[in-house]
Amino acid sequence: MSSATLYSVSFALVHDVLFALGRAVGGPVGAALRNSGLITGLALLVFAGILLIASLLNTIVLIWYERKLLGRFMDRRGAMHVGYAGLLQNFADGLKLFRKNTVRPREADGLGFYFGPTAYVVTSIVIFGVLPISSGWNAGALPLTLLLALTIFSFAPLFIFVSAWSSNNKYSLMGGLRSAAQMIAYEVPLLLAVVAVVVVAGSFDLTTIVYEQQNYWFWGPLVVALIVFVAAMLAEMERIPFDLPEAEAELVEGWNTEYGGMLFAFFMLADYLRALVGSILVVLLFLGGWTLPTWVPSAATSFPLAGILWFMVKTYIVFGLFVWVRASLPRVRTDQLLRVGWNRMIPLALLSVFLAAALVTVRCVPVFGCVPSLGG
Amino acid sequence: MSEMWINMGPQHPMTHGLWNLRVRLDGELILDVDPEMGYLHRGIEKISEDRHYNEVITLMDRCCYVAGMAWEHLYILGAERALHVTPPERAEYLRVLCDEFQRLGSHLMWYAAFVQDLGLMSPFLYGMRDRDLVLDLFQSYTGARMTYEYMRVGGVRNDLPPGFTQQARKVLDWLTDRFREYDQLCLGSTIFRKRCDGLGVLKGPDAVRNGVTGPMLRAAGVKRDLRKDRPYAAYDRLEFDVALADGADVTARYLVRMEEMRQSVRLLRQVLDWLDGHPGPVVADRLPRWLGAPYAPVGAEGYLLKRQYPKGVGFAAVEEPHGEALAYVVNEGGEHPYRVKFRSPVFANLSAARTYLVGYHVADIPPIMGSVDVCVGEVDR
Amino acid sequence: MGPEDLQRGLASRLGAGLLGVDAFDGTAGRIRFDRSVALELFRAMREELGFGHLSTVAGIDWVDRREVVYVLWSDRALQYVLLSTFLPADDPKVESASGVWPSANWHEREAWEMVDITFDHHPDLRHLLMPDGYAFHPLLRSFKLHEPESLEVKVRHV
Repeated sequence: MSSATLYSVSFALVHDVLFALGRAVGGPVGAALRNSGLITGLALLVFAGILLIASLLNTIVLIWYERKLLGRFMDRRGAMHVGYAGLLQNFADGLKLFRKNTVRPREADGLGFYFGPTAYVVTSIVIFGVLPISSGWNAGALPLTLLLALTIFSFAPLFIFVSAWSSNNKYSLMGGLRSAAQMIAYEVPLLLAVVAVVVVAGSFDLTTIVYEQQNYWFWGPLVVALIVFVAAMLAEMERIPFDLPEAEAELVEGWNTEYGGMLFAFFMLADYLRALVGSILVVLLFLGGWTLPTWVPSAATSFPLAGILWFMVKTYIVFGLFVWVRASLPRVRTDQLLRVGWNRMIPLALLSVFLAAALVTVRCVPVFGCVPSLGG
Repeated sequence: MSEMWINMGPQHPMTHGLWNLRVRLDGELILDVDPEMGYLHRGIEKISEDRHYNEVITLMDRCCYVAGMAWEHLYILGAERALHVTPPERAEYLRVLCDEFQRLGSHLMWYAAFVQDLGLMSPFLYGMRDRDLVLDLFQSYTGARMTYEYMRVGGVRNDLPPGFTQQARKVLDWLTDRFREYDQLCLGSTIFRKRCDGLGVLKGPDAVRNGVTGPMLRAAGVKRDLRKDRPYAAYDRLEFDVALADGADVTARYLVRMEEMRQSVRLLRQVLDWLDGHPGPVVADRLPRWLGAPYAPVGAEGYLLKRQYPKGVGFAAVEEPHGEALAYVVNEGGEHPYRVKFRSPVFANLSAARTYLVGYHVADIPPIMGSVDVCVGEVDR
Repeated sequence: MGPEDLQRGLASRLGAGLLGVDAFDGTAGRIRFDRSVALELFRAMREELGFGHLSTVAGIDWVDRREVVYVLWSDRALQYVLLSTFLPADDPKVESASGVWPSANWHEREAWEMVDITFDHHPDLRHLLMPDGYAFHPLLRSFKLHEPESLEVKVRHV
């Protein structure tokens, strides 16, 4: 299935370049260039570079997309002046933040203050290493990609709490506490909803899960799981209506109150990276990944990079829905959020697991046809 | 977590101005609050003692930056009583026009800030957008969007430009439609109701005891509106209802303000009709000479005649968008007021903060303070 | 309600402390009283005449003496009434109204810091608009706007 991964492509690239170079140079230097350890190391670097640039570019475009979309929802235009329709606005903003002095409060803990945002953004980028973007372009081919992605995804509360606590600011601390409570509360329904998908797909591998959706996408039979997943994802991404850790009305900026300049940009970036991951996971788990329904003419999927294109289109539509929610809902309160999390979301998630199990047992969904390839 | 004091302000998104709410918290529970004012104190009452009567109008616009017209009207009423001047009838209607448009502008601004506190992003911009239409109208006949200097002792500065009433009616029609949209966005949202119902309760007796007035008081079911109780300007000749609600919570205050905007539209339609049919002078003919002609620059040194004028004390009460505003103007016969004292409704509403904040969560502070509609300019003066 | 009604209602209770009731434009009247009967007058106004709402407390500096004006409102009569008392400039003290109307609290704090009128038995008489430790009373006539003032203001840090 996963014939070419992003790593194998970059490995082949480095391999070919180094071999050609080694042959041209000749002698001991040429032999050293053809060393397999060097090739592997360089291939890893190239892989990481491509991953970094692709995810960052994507995130920046995502921010632009959100700004434009929010602008439309709010009866205004959004960014307009830098680049075509403000496309370069975020680069300008990024440059501005990069140029800014990073101020650390005197009483703040130096180690945690810098470690928190850095680890937060790094782990957020790492997730992209395991997400398959299309059939021929997935980054890594591991058997447990879904679990790995969610594991890295759930590191975040720790880093947020570290940076909040080390800021030595009451607002930061309260934001950090809220963030930790919220993320832990919503981690459980999130994983339970994922369990429903895993039960039906029979695999922890995201690529397999996508291929299991070739006949029908999982959002139909697993609609309860989808609802739970999206709601929990909103809480994990800390976006309105669940953005109370950084509720600017009461907590100034929540856990990143004391951060400015590039460290703030790290938080901002990581937030959007996680939003992107969330949208990608929704697409992969429920919306058929890069595949299209069978009734779509094959011309739509046969051109090169069609998989990536459709994948991105779906991701941006899902993210657009998140933005829509953000534009139209007020913020809930901490106790309400936690009550909903523990009292409503978890039973609902358990129900979705039960429904998935029933689906596998019955092996037939009335509307969507029979499940073809379930073992058992 | 043990108890701690936090400073919400003076630079805090919740404050909508410049003040400091000191909050004592146990975890997220509010145990005590202590508002600290004075960050915006400009000494308007003191400066007024050094200015001519018409020059004080400039200060009034700065007194409350979202309800400048109401404060001009307040001061003018006090000054006119102190100076024994009566304005012509058309000026009175024009003042009602100013007042009610100002109420619309102020409440729209409140709406925008309030929903922003709740995390509603889009309605914030809807509120600002619609407020701009009101400001455009102000600009068309006063030349300014926020600091108007439009009213004068004995009348108003100038009449309306041609075509104003048609334009104003268009704006009123547009706003009437938008109010429905606002309600859908707020009352139609379950999260909004869950956030606001039963929040920041301030019952009628408590409110009266603590001097709370305006929409906050009417939301507690106490029917007090100076426009009805002690009509000034042309309010006794116009028809409107006092907006009332009995929830005494944040939702009730929302309902009262929305209803007040509807009543303002109703009042404005009557005023516009009257203005169309009754042209006339907008300034009283017999003014003390040192007050200056309404068009002339006042306060130019050569213009003043140090003339004694009958002494008097003027007392005026106006239903400002935030509540009951009072002016006490002492005229000792000079060209400057001897003493000017203003009573700001928000000042009193804020002084009662303890009664409606203690016992709620820290996340409730923004919606509750949003429903109070704080304008620090008039609190600190 | 007019000045005569007020005079009738209060005369027996206050005796010589009631200095007179004048007509006043826009209100039911202005009650002039001696500061010795302040508390009794406040209670009578609130409990017997139904003036449950204290709008404001204004201090006025007349150089040789100081005036305190209380503005009350009655929901029953739908009318304002003014209470006015004069205090000697060397001993500007009057009983606080905040025990009768809690809303007097901030207004009296303001009058205290602006016009230097001390309100006895006020629960919390500290600076409101001016920083703590501010040594001047800006609304006194002796505080001139045009004279450069050299101030050393201690600001509290909390």
